[in-house]
Amino acid sequence: MEVVKGVVRAFDSASYRATVQVAGSLAVWLEGVPVARSVPASVVTAGRRCVLVFFDAANPQDAVVVAVYD
Amino acid sequence: MRFLPPSLVAAQRSPSASPYLRVTVSERTGGVAQAAFQRLYSGGEPEGPHAAALAGDGSLLRARIAGGQLYYQRVPSPGPGSSFGSWTALGAAQRSLALAALGAQVLLAYVAADGSVAVRESQDYGASFGAAATVLPATAGAQHLALALKPGEVLLAYATTSQVAVLKRTGGAWGSPSAWPHSLGSISGLACHYGGDYNLAVTGAEAGGRAGLWTVVFGDGYRQGVGTWSALREVQRADAGSGVAFAAPCLSAPDVYRLGLVESYSGSQPYARLQLSHLVPGIDFADNWWREPLPSDITGAYGVAMAAASGLLWLSTPNGVWRADLSAPALDVSDRLLALEMEEVPLGGSLRLELADDDGSLWAAGSPLRPGAEVAVSLGYLTAEGPRTSPAPRYWATTVELRAEDGRRTLLLEGSSAWGLLSAWRARRQFAWAAGERNVFGILSFLWARAGVPFSTVSYSQAAVDLRPAFTVQPGQSGLEAVRRLLALVPDVVLLSQNFALLKHPQETEAPVYAYGDGHPVLAAAARRALPVANRVQVFGQGAFAEAFLWESVALGGDRLRQVHDLNVTSAAQAADRALWEARRLLLSLVSEELTVPPNCGQELYDLVTVTEPSLGLAAARRRVLSIRTGYDARRGLYRQRLGLGAP
Repeated sequence: MEVVKGVVRAFDSASYRATVQVAGSLAVWLEGVPVARSVPASVVTAGRRCVLVFFDAANPQDAVVVAVYD
Repeated sequence: MRFLPPSLVAAQRSPSASPYLRVTVSERTGGVAQAAFQRLYSGGEPEGPHAAALAGDGSLLRARIAGGQLYYQRVPSPGPGSSFGSWTALGAAQRSLALAALGAQVLLAYVAADGSVAVRESQDYGASFGAAATVLPATAGAQHLALALKPGEVLLAYATTSQVAVLKRTGGAWGSPSAWPHSLGSISGLACHYGGDYNLAVTGAEAGGRAGLWTVVFGDGYRQGVGTWSALREVQRADAGSGVAFAAPCLSAPDVYRLGLVESYSGSQPYARLQLSHLVPGIDFADNWWREPLPSDITGAYGVAMAAASGLLWLSTPNGVWRADLSAPALDVSDRLLALEMEEVPLGGSLRLELADDDGSLWAAGSPLRPGAEVAVSLGYLTAEGPRTSPAPRYWATTVELRAEDGRRTLLLEGSSAWGLLSAWRARRQFAWAAGERNVFGILSFLWARAGVPFSTVSYSQAAVDLRPAFTVQPGQSGLEAVRRLLALVPDVVLLSQNFALLKHPQETEAPVYAYGDGHPVLAAAARRALPVANRVQVFGQGAFAEAFLWESVALGGDRLRQVHDLNVTSAAQAADRALWEARRLLLSLVSEELTVPPNCGQELYDLVTVTEPSLGLAAARRRVLSIRTGYDARRGLYRQRLGLGAP
């Protein structure tokens, strides 16, 4: 399991998935990352920093945004 | 196992054969010459659209547009003393131009003052040009031009604000434009080169704003049907809003395909920097496996033009000319070799050489013996037919050390294998493949290419082809870690052969390729019994679960559990396969015997061999080669190989 930080670049409240710029990736975002349902949609806005947990560091579908801050 | 001539096989089985090793060093990476550019010209010309080509007589042809004028220059026998500052005005032009040469034929295309596209042609190596002929009207909207020549045919490629099209001239007559079936939101640059097909590089942005560099092929029958377009294939990308964009691509193929482009960033510390890349050897343009682009200190929004001939690669801008020698001759240091230690192990490998340097030539400036150099070692013997060798995997020098003692100078070189190149490559962005997008072999090929290493197969499992996992490489992660994670999904392994990495599916039913103790002497032998790291594997997928055991080991030391969690596993059958592969991988990591033998010059990792060694109770026992350590010491007369062996 890996915990990484990122920046929310987009959020789809219907699928509850976010596009996230993982720290260290200047130009390319990770799309379709599930967001914890405990995080209110209203706070998942572009530009906010976030915390991602990768249960499998090699599988982008096995990750979740667990917190949004700033 | 590498093929060996019968005389070499006979020699390596003889107790009295004399060793013969060949060691060469060259300025290459992954078999491709490292381009060290020397700047030959620095001028005051303003930045702007420009182009360059090399004519068949070796003349360097350059053209540029500045202040609405087209300027042209031809430098015969270009070199360090040449004058690159003298230009001839050819009339009004704007936006874009292109140059291409083939033998004595030279074509110069440009956007004329009225927006039409004109072409001028030379048949005397660019010394003089015929009158301009309009080949596209202004309504075509050409913004970027590129030219490619093959005998009897000219191809003019042009890009509008969002489309690419090509126009062929065959038998002296221009045909109709053929537009590609793709669409981009904007196009910022275009390059084209003929290599069996017409190979293009395009920079720009998708309609949604995602910037990229793509390759696309307009077929001429090599990898793409004549007159048809391939898919757009991504080389670089930058998401909308990242501030990163790409422009000014250029292509050349002096040895392998080489590519240049400008990457610009508009953020807090903006830059517009040239990036240079190349295809890995043995790979077609259509395969699109490019080495990670290397940043260059050449700056400017218009990038460079590339031209190549006779082992030289030229870069040109309006105010600069650079040249790199790509011949990268191999320096033979075989007669300097004092000692060698070479290790081939799974996911690793190292080399240590001690070389005599009494005359100081190996340490001197200009010697290719420096960090980064490619070292090719061939193991062999003096045979009845003379010296014979077999090439071992390549290594790349990481450190070179000079030692002086008792009036003697020696160089100590340490290097790592292609695994070291892979380990040194770090993802500089997020790479992600959605489930179903690309198979394991394709992702492996991509990752090895990024490190500059060509990738192919000896054999492969069906899973390596069929499995298309959701997979990501995190920024900052090493290529080694990414490949290790990918290999965990399949039963395959990777071995190294010369400058290639090769996928292999080791199967218990394989036929042995060599026999030890039955013709080939065994000098020493040891056996080891140990418990594997784990002997019980549990795989948890999406609603799927399976287990596999190494029962013999469980009986000895109880169960040692390894759990695998992978959402790419979606069925019980997949889970069962994965558990079996993981258990087999655990078995293949366990060395059960070690043999010391006269070096088998063709031995490769993961070969299946038989061993007859009465002291260990082995009679034609099937074993898998899990490590190879070769040592040579000229001063002590030692030439030995230690083989780590395991279950087949």
